[in-house]
Amino acid sequence: MALDRIHKTLTAIICVLGLIGCVQPVPPDLLVALEAIDQDLIALRAPEAAPDEYGQFVHQWVSLKARVQLDDDLIRWPWESSDLENDLRRLYLIGERTVSQLHERQASQHRTAQAKVVRLEAQLHTITSRVESIDGRILLGEKVVQTDLLVKQARSFFEQKDFQRAMQVAEKADHALKAQTVLLNRELGRYADESRIAYWQALAKQTIEWSRIHQSTAIVVSKADRELTLYKSGRKVLSYPVRLGFNGMLEKQFQGDGATPEGRYRVTDKRGQGQTQFYRALALDYPNAEDRRRFEYAKKSGKIGPAKGIGGQIEIHGADNERLAQTLGCVMLDNPNMAVLYEGVSVGTPVTIVGAVTRGNAVALALSELAQRRDEI
Amino acid sequence: MLRKASLVSLALTLIVVAGCAEPPTQQIQEAEKALKDAQESGAATYSADEYAKLEGTLAALRKEVADQDDKFTLFRDYGKAQQLSASAKADSERVKTASVQKKEEAKAAALQAQQVAEEAVKATQDLVAKAPVGKDRAAVEAIKNDVEGLKSLLKQVQASIDKEDYPAAQTQAKAIHDMSQGVSTEIQNALAKVGKGKPGRKK
Repeated sequence: MALDRIHKTLTAIICVLGLIGCVQPVPPDLLVALEAIDQDLIALRAPEAAPDEYGQFVHQWVSLKARVQLDDDLIRWPWESSDLENDLRRLYLIGERTVSQLHERQASQHRTAQAKVVRLEAQLHTITSRVESIDGRILLGEKVVQTDLLVKQARSFFEQKDFQRAMQVAEKADHALKAQTVLLNRELGRYADESRIAYWQALAKQTIEWSRIHQSTAIVVSKADRELTLYKSGRKVLSYPVRLGFNGMLEKQFQGDGATPEGRYRVTDKRGQGQTQFYRALALDYPNAEDRRRFEYAKKSGKIGPAKGIGGQIEIHGADNERLAQTLGCVMLDNPNMAVLYEGVSVGTPVTIVGAVTRGNAVALALSELAQRRDEI
Repeated sequence: MLRKASLVSLALTLIVVAGCAEPPTQQIQEAEKALKDAQESGAATYSADEYAKLEGTLAALRKEVADQDDKFTLFRDYGKAQQLSASAKADSERVKTASVQKKEEAKAAALQAQQVAEEAVKATQDLVAKAPVGKDRAAVEAIKNDVEGLKSLLKQVQASIDKEDYPAAQTQAKAIHDMSQGVSTEIQNALAKVGKGKPGRKK
């Protein structure tokens, strides 16, 4: 009887143990932890930023979740290890490692993109201010706003934490900035060209020499430094800052191009109040024979359209009376300076307009600085 | 004798029925098509995580079918594959709907940003007509230049919208808006300094 009771009890214990062992679920904490890993990966934008890594993780996760949901692999004896649980734990470790790697990668991308965007913004700022200082903004045309757009776009993507696109756009902005400096060099490189500077220096020297020999006045205008200098008997008597045409740094080619001509001219007329819309004006003999020859040659060679005119009425003048813009290629002074100059010169005074008179002129310096900056990008 | 024969026929019937287990080909195809539809609706971009999970489900489904195919005919069971197909199809349809909605939202946001940018450029353009053109002709010409540039940049926004790259369109439109405002401020400052200038005339 007692033996029978013991037998029954043992059977009951084995059954209970068996039932417990047979339906051993996957630890719910493990599933929660894996779900959290998945959320971490999504928060790290892994599906977009690291599609391969996320794809690998998610394929396994979905597959294992399906096994859990379909009650597969759940029946086991207590002494058996659970393959499903082991697979889930392995995936957890892989997921954890992926999260950590993505964290590091994202932090690194953040640093790289930030450095790039900040450097680009600084570059753009420097280039913009240098370009403005040498009146090169018009010369660059739409490139200015296009580059600005790219830099701003890179900043927007960076702020949206889309570092990949931020870098892509920053790369484009980088190219655009380089293209700007290349264009500036192409158009204004002559200001840094030693032979051209030597030629301009010679022109200015001859004018000053003429002033000395003839004991007379002469004017030299340096476009790069935006400076007008008056000489008397070969000696410098005054220097004034000037404004040029809106495209003043270029060589004048045709009417309306906003460029200020370069060459040897003379004052042909003095225009006082009532004779000019400006405060005072000294008319120059532009276009002279050399200008005409150059213009005809450019037209024949197709550099200038057949309908273009050579232009004229280039003056040294004061500020306008009615705020009208007439600095389309002239040399403009502030009125008090113009008053002094006007009194100091007579009709026939030589006026030599040159690009620059020194190697270290403002345009050459700006171009050199831009080239340095370009290499830093 | 008769009883024995019945048992044998029952066993044979069971073997035939069990041996007839076929993979749910049509359901799998439907699930694959649903996933393709989701992908074409932009799910990979607008619901990237869910799309990746769908791809995972499809991979699990294919593996399950392959595992069953490898088993001896009598032991094949495609019930799990059927369940996976059904859930993959249902989830793909749900993700497709969500992606279409998100894409529409992104498009609406891009179009709105485009409109705001266009209005800003137009306002700047109107302001340029009033720009003082006194001493600093170069600055005025540069401003006009910039406005022309902004107008052409608006085309880039449209191009991005046409390519359905709405995030790019939005960032471009925002940048154009900011630049337009910068130019407008520049003109307004000049106007404040000198008052309304007369429009410049060509020489």
